[in-house]
Amino acid sequence: VTHQKSRLGSSPPSCRSKCGRCSPCKAVHVPIQPGVSIPLEYYPEAWRCKCGNHLFMP
Amino acid sequence: AVLFPLGSPLNDEGKALMSIKASFSNVANVLLDWNDAHDGDFCSWRGVFCDNVSLSVASLNLSNLNLGGEISPAIGDLGNLESIDLQGNKLTGQIPDEIGNCASLIHLDLSDNLLYGDIPFSVSKLKKLELLNLKNNQLTGPIPTTLTQIPNLKTIDLAQNELSGEIPRLIYWNEVLQYLGLRGNSLTGSLSPDMCQLTGLWYFDVRGNNLTGKIPDSIGNCTSFEILDVSYNQITGEIPYNIGFLQVATLSLQGNRLTGKIPEVIGLMQALAVLDLSENELVGPIPPIFGNLSYTGKLYLHGNKLTGSIPPELGNMSKLSYLQLNDNKLVGRIPAELGKLEQLFELNLANNVLEGPIPHDISSCTALNQFNVHGNRLTGSIPLTFRNLQSLTYLNLSRNYFSGRIAIELGGIINLDTLWVHRDLSSNNFSGPVPASVGDLEHLLTLNLSGNHLNGSLPAEFGNLRSVQTIDMSFNYLSGSIPGELGQLQNLAALILNNNFLNGTIPDQLTNCFSLATLNFSYNNLSGVVPPMRNFSRFLPDSFTGNPLLCGNWLGSICSPATKS
Repeated sequence: VTHQKSRLGSSPPSCRSKCGRCSPCKAVHVPIQPGVSIPLEYYPEAWRCKCGNHLFMP
Repeated sequence: AVLFPLGSPLNDEGKALMSIKASFSNVANVLLDWNDAHDGDFCSWRGVFCDNVSLSVASLNLSNLNLGGEISPAIGDLGNLESIDLQGNKLTGQIPDEIGNCASLIHLDLSDNLLYGDIPFSVSKLKKLELLNLKNNQLTGPIPTTLTQIPNLKTIDLAQNELSGEIPRLIYWNEVLQYLGLRGNSLTGSLSPDMCQLTGLWYFDVRGNNLTGKIPDSIGNCTSFEILDVSYNQITGEIPYNIGFLQVATLSLQGNRLTGKIPEVIGLMQALAVLDLSENELVGPIPPIFGNLSYTGKLYLHGNKLTGSIPPELGNMSKLSYLQLNDNKLVGRIPAELGKLEQLFELNLANNVLEGPIPHDISSCTALNQFNVHGNRLTGSIPLTFRNLQSLTYLNLSRNYFSGRIAIELGGIINLDTLWVHRDLSSNNFSGPVPASVGDLEHLLTLNLSGNHLNGSLPAEFGNLRSVQTIDMSFNYLSGSIPGELGQLQNLAALILNNNFLNGTIPDQLTNCFSLATLNFSYNNLSGVVPPMRNFSRFLPDSFTGNPLLCGNWLGSICSPATKS
């Protein structure tokens, strides 16, 4: 059983050691293509860790 | 792969494939090699992939081949299939119940077709299924409750169908589900507190359904969610305080009926990349603590009933590229601090009650592409420093109380495609002549300077606006003649010059504007003869009325019906 996080608020991922041996490893916004074919005003965005052209899960 | 002798009889799987081909249409070109008479080795057929050892069909990939027809029940005879990908065709009919016999299936993608009918309950027999993608079809009926009996289902994408009924609550008790895409259906019921039992889910999207009720107070427990999109439903009540416990990157509550104030706690959610609370019934101020959202790129608060002034703290949202506060009841001045937003691409403050001048500091937003302050009570003139906004393509200053001259420097905003500064007839106006430099706006598509106090003549340089489609200079004090150079404007569709003091004749060159479909020269002092040829023959007398000295082909014209000059 996981306890509910009791702290309010959030912050971007630190991305510390999330890109394997690649550096620098930085948190970036990436658009997520939703299930539609028509273009939207914006795509949902999520955080990923980026190093060079490679994305990693935070 | 093993080569079968020519014309050897197919086994059961081969026969099943031939049945599948037989129920498709448009197969002539794309499934040419699915031909048992020439090649019985179905493992080499297009889109068929067999297991190396058992030589049984393991994968069927016929995506984006423009296939029509239906999916044959014979698909159920391919008992070792692990993956079916038929996305992006024109398949119609129902999903056959027999698909439940493909007991090894891990990956089922039938998206972007024309499939209709219910999602078969037999899908629940696919105990190994990890991905179910049926988006963009015409499926009806409910989401089968039995989906909850698939233990390893990680992705459910049923978006853009016509599914109805409630989201089965049991679906939320799935710890492995990562992606739930239900947008664009007709789902009803409310968001269940159970949704936060999805402890492995990162993508939750129910945008564009008919969900009602409130956002559950327990929403803060959905701590694995990265994207929470409940936009365009009929959700009511207030935004719960507990939303502040979420870790989401995208929070979209757009297009619901949410009431009450914006909880200040949202200002602590620094992981937000996109925050969209627009098109609700929210009241009260924009919390100044939003300035704390220094990683947020898109903030949409438009279309609410927000009051108070724009917090100068928003200038601290250093990653902001979209800021839409339009269509609220915001008062006070535009804070100079917004000039600190170096990445700002679109700033929309239209239809509020803002007053005072546009701060010069806005010129520091060098990434600005669209700037809209339509429908406020702004005064002063256009800051000369706007010439620094080299990325600006859309400038809308209409319906305010601006005054002064239109600066020559405006011609320096070379990428502008829309310049819209017309006035309410009752309010104050720009005055003085139209600077010839407006002719430098070579990318301009729309020029609307109507309803001001502009005087002087129409600059011949307007003939350089080679992209322009609409010129509206009506309701000003323009005099002099219409420059023949306007005849160079091959894209001009609307030329609206009514209610000025223009005189002289209508230049024949205008008949070279082949795109011209809307023309209004009424209520000026034009004279001479309306050119009787080309597109001018289709303009009705209304386009010319109120020019007593103008001669044309209408009843009551000073001359008899026009003859060729």
